[in-house]
Amino acid sequence: MILTQNLTKRYGKTLAVNNLNLNVDRGVIFGLVGENGAGKTTALSMLATLTLPSSGRAYVCGHEVTREPQAVRRAIGYMPDSFGVYDDLTVMEYLRFFAQCYGVDRRTISRRAEELLERVRLADKRDVYVNHLSRGMQQRLEVARCLMHDPDVLILDEPSSGLDPKSRLEMRSVLAGLRELGKTVIISTHILNELAEVADEVGILLRGELVAVAAVQVMVQHSSAYRTIVIDGRDLGDDFVKALFADPHVAEVRPLAPGWEVLYAGTLAQQAELLSRLVSEGFSITQFREQPTDIEQLFLRLAAIQEGAIS
Amino acid sequence: MKWHLNPLLLKEFRQRMRTIRAPLVITAYLFAMSALTVFLLYENVQGQLYLVQPTKSQQVFALVSLLQMVVVAFLAPAFASGSVSGERERKTLAVLLTTPVGPFGILFGKVVSSSALLVLLVVLTLPVYSLVFLYGGAVPAQVASVLGFQLVTIVVISVVCVLFSTIALRSTWSTVFAYGSVGLMTVIFGALGYGLKSLYEQNPIDYSALVWSHFFYALDPLYVEAAFLGVVSAAPHVWVPFVEFYAVVIAILLVPSLWRLRPQWFSWLPFVSGTEKQYQ
Repeated sequence: MILTQNLTKRYGKTLAVNNLNLNVDRGVIFGLVGENGAGKTTALSMLATLTLPSSGRAYVCGHEVTREPQAVRRAIGYMPDSFGVYDDLTVMEYLRFFAQCYGVDRRTISRRAEELLERVRLADKRDVYVNHLSRGMQQRLEVARCLMHDPDVLILDEPSSGLDPKSRLEMRSVLAGLRELGKTVIISTHILNELAEVADEVGILLRGELVAVAAVQVMVQHSSAYRTIVIDGRDLGDDFVKALFADPHVAEVRPLAPGWEVLYAGTLAQQAELLSRLVSEGFSITQFREQPTDIEQLFLRLAAIQEGAIS
Repeated sequence: MKWHLNPLLLKEFRQRMRTIRAPLVITAYLFAMSALTVFLLYENVQGQLYLVQPTKSQQVFALVSLLQMVVVAFLAPAFASGSVSGERERKTLAVLLTTPVGPFGILFGKVVSSSALLVLLVVLTLPVYSLVFLYGGAVPAQVASVLGFQLVTIVVISVVCVLFSTIALRSTWSTVFAYGSVGLMTVIFGALGYGLKSLYEQNPIDYSALVWSHFFYALDPLYVEAAFLGVVSAAPHVWVPFVEFYAVVIAILLVPSLWRLRPQWFSWLPFVSGTEKQYQ
């Protein structure tokens, strides 16, 4: 449904997106994760026909974005990362306007608008002026707006950015509801945890390059396979780090103030063995505790490890 | 094929006409024009209405028409100068550009919606003009041509302002360009025409001064309107060079406007860089 082949975008000497190869199947919700400036918005704006690729190709529903942009525009619903709304239009009028832009007939507009307002929990706001809605409501309205012409593909760029925790949860539940519609969705975010309940697959974009793609389930399994151990003690220096890496289950060691944080892939028994070995080697350990690893931290670490490999 | 009214047009009409501002502007304008016309007619005859003659009535008609031209010329940028730049500043343009409406649809919708209120104002003043019919001095054909040219001028100024609004990234700059254009059309071109004509009158051998004088006069909507009113003597089809010149100006301005809206269309040009985001 969405296919990119070596998609690249340069702004002068800056490489915003570098050889992006994506293949998102029909009905899949794909999360594009990356820090600010990673190239997510540029990649999505190329798919939305707003930006011309410097090289490579991108196809949406079989239409090449540079050769058949009108067909692509009809097939997508695009929500930019930063958007505005029209003053002096009610919620219903706002949805009607965008549906008319796509040539949706009048009867379908009313029916679909009602359905979508229910879906994004704004049914009671249908006659409220759009500029009087809260930011969270406006963002949910944007999701409804993207769906008004019943596109096959949704491109949502940071749909939860700038929201408070409550609105973020509401948006997450709206996004999770998209699965029922069977749409192909590509969502960018820099908050990975948001995608855990929403996306089927996740890709990490790092400095314009897609460094990893995996099913969310795999990511969750990874997060449960790895555990984070915090170790503190007296005079734990380089020798201590060497001793840690002698254990094949140690994936990464990061300094803390004070102590060390260890990403550990072994079992609990192996973890106990590690502790007893460290003590037997004479290290003075005062603290050895496990702390929960969330999916986001894991992703960032994997990204950092990948970044090290790239550079 | 099913015909659809430009959705942008419907939206703009809804937004512009739903507040109290639009009826207030229309009412105030009609009241001012009516009061002025009645005052001029009354003043011309010192209160003795039986003294009203066709020539005096025509003077009133000419004065009111020229005044209306000045008003609409300077009101047009107020409606049109922020039309596209405002969308850009409100961050609504990018979404609009991902719809099938497209750059031409956006420009068309903006031009028609921003000139609509002024067209309405001009049409609504028809009954005011009819006051002069009471006493003769202006025939319906002349009134129609005068009003027709006012409508053409409104559309020309609106198009130029919308295009500048597309080219300039900020509304502040598009407003400066818009009023600069109106100033050029109504003041500078007229002054140039007058200066060159004076030059020719001092030195009748310099025929080129007269030719240029006619050229600049023909670009001034006030002068062309005055020619329609018979206030100045001009070539019979003085409006033709006016329309031709501004058609060329609009065609030239259309290129950078489209470039701002769809830089992709011009990507084959060597000097165009890929900085689309800042235009949208």
